[in-house]
Amino acid sequence: MKKLMCVINQPPYANSHVLELLETAMVAAVFDMQVSLLFCGEGLWNLLQKQNADPLGQRTVSKVLLAMPDYDVSAIYVCADTLQDKQIDTDEFVLPVTFLNKAAQADLMSEQDAVMGTGT
Amino acid sequence: MIFTVAVHGAPYASFASHHALGFCESLLSQGHQLHRVFFYHEAVLTGLNARVVPQGEENIVQRWLDLKQEHTVELAICIANALKRGVINESEQARYSKPAATLLSEFELVGLGQLIEAVAQSDRYVEFPA
Repeated sequence: MKKLMCVINQPPYANSHVLELLETAMVAAVFDMQVSLLFCGEGLWNLLQKQNADPLGQRTVSKVLLAMPDYDVSAIYVCADTLQDKQIDTDEFVLPVTFLNKAAQADLMSEQDAVMGTGT
Repeated sequence: MIFTVAVHGAPYASFASHHALGFCESLLSQGHQLHRVFFYHEAVLTGLNARVVPQGEENIVQRWLDLKQEHTVELAICIANALKRGVINESEQARYSKPAATLLSEFELVGLGQLIEAVAQSDRYVEFPA
């Protein structure tokens, strides 16, 4: 089973890259890859529960994230350093996550067969 | 080694295509294999058939076509990303009753499954963000 990590470092609704990467993650899971998500930088805002993209005419990212465990994507990681910078209350996250420092992220990445990102 | 390359940036708006081409040409010249080039996000615009390149500017799309011809590389465009950006082939033109097909015939419209299949078949997956 190939391992794929999707690194999300862009905020929701700035462009379509986050939703499009989540689509890729779901397809990879359907193709029997072991998929994990890593949220870092501005990407953390995607995890907030109180989102509503209806006025934008888009899908709400937090709702898409809620569907991830249905696709067997339940390994969801958050950069611990970013969390401290952003001062986000983790009770507001839509899913249970695991916090990783930079060294642990590097270890996890080195175990992957492929890493995909939302871009810079 | 077998490589799959993904491009995320539109030609002329981003240097993603330029960097990806250099990388692809280099890996092929060193005897590696290129399984598939996958154009995602705004990079689907690479496949547009109506582009007029200003004099003195590089014809980046022609370089992709040359690469395909020389090395039989598959140039794959994400169909979901392409349709919503107006990049359609003749069968999609007919399906949605649009006035013209806008995709160069050298490019193929494929699903995301083709990206995942390519990643699974390759030793290395390299992405060129916008």
